[in-house]
Amino acid sequence: MISIQATDSMERIFRRAVQARLPLSADDNCEVTRQESVLPHAGENVVMLTISSIMFRMIMVLHFDEDVNTRAYCVDLIGEVSLLDVLLEAWNLCCGAVNQELLEFFPDLGMSTPYVLGASCMHYLDELKPDYLASFAIEINGCARFAATLGVCAQATVDFVANETAITETNGELELF
Amino acid sequence: MFEQSLLSALAGAALATLAGGTFYKLKVVRSIAVLRGAIAQQEGQLLQASEREATQAAQHEAAQLGLANDLSRLQRELVVKSDALSDAQSIINAAAADKAQWLTQAGKIAGEAARLNALAATFERWHEQMISLMEQNQDMHAKNQELSSIVRHVVIVSLNASIEAARAGTAGRGFAVVASEVRALAARSEELSKSYRDSLHRNDLTTTTTFQDIQAGGKMITASLGSVKVLADQFQTTLH
Repeated sequence: MISIQATDSMERIFRRAVQARLPLSADDNCEVTRQESVLPHAGENVVMLTISSIMFRMIMVLHFDEDVNTRAYCVDLIGEVSLLDVLLEAWNLCCGAVNQELLEFFPDLGMSTPYVLGASCMHYLDELKPDYLASFAIEINGCARFAATLGVCAQATVDFVANETAITETNGELELF
Repeated sequence: MFEQSLLSALAGAALATLAGGTFYKLKVVRSIAVLRGAIAQQEGQLLQASEREATQAAQHEAAQLGLANDLSRLQRELVVKSDALSDAQSIINAAAADKAQWLTQAGKIAGEAARLNALAATFERWHEQMISLMEQNQDMHAKNQELSSIVRHVVIVSLNASIEAARAGTAGRGFAVVASEVRALAARSEELSKSYRDSLHRNDLTTTTTFQDIQAGGKMITASLGSVKVLADQFQTTLH
């Protein structure tokens, strides 16, 4: 129920959002690589967030480990804030950027607040019967490594084409959580 | 001589008189001719004037007829225009009534949209309930982990019991059977605990995604209601 050009567009929007919003500094190099297979086992924990529209819901998941590299990248830059708070905020900004771009095509959209779960629950992602599911490996400055899962469940035909150009310069949707 | 002179004078006078009379007669005739010519000229002028007047009268009559036709046409047009004006007035009156009604309706829509914005409180309640539900899930995860730990301990105890029963030889046979049963029960408990843990993970995902869908949907509805209210307000402003 999701056209190829729509999934391509979603993936393009997702990549742009992650590259623009996940790095904590604008100078950081963020590589987003599409994985051939879905990675439910990646990371110990996940930050989950949902964007809902009348026709579909998009589930965006950031897989992370509280390892030395991740902690070094996230916490050292921020200071006293906990790793979890940093990642919740960063992923919220990513989803806000995706939401912002999707609004151009779907005027009725809403975004949830982020929630942290154990990564084990991702083994059951198929039970949500997603029409589109993709996994990505994310590497920032060659040290901090994450994974991401993008899933879309549609109740109607979803078809649109997002532009190829860069993300609109907004700060995304600010959420208090 | 005198007589002759008198006669001559008389003759001369007669001749003069005759000549004068003839001259006078000629003059009169000439005057009559002149007068006749003048009369004829006057008659011609009068005839021309009469003809002009007749032409002008005809033109006036034609103009009068044209004016009468125009007047008649204008009267008909006036009737038509008057009817149209009356219709337009009716339409304007109806539009004014409609406008008042629309104004009321726009006010109601804006009011309803503002009232429905209170749905945010409902979404907030769902959020709190979801947090509560997830906390219960976390609690069940912790208890299940504790149960799993106990089961593993029971397995070790049952293994030790089997070893001790074997050491006891014949006397420990009965105890060995019990230890074996306990180990089997522990193994089943372990399986159950794993299954329960998987169910909890599945439950985590389902609960979270469902709740997030509800939460995001709620925000979508709130935003849409906000747009409806803005449009209704704009409509009201335009009608004012």
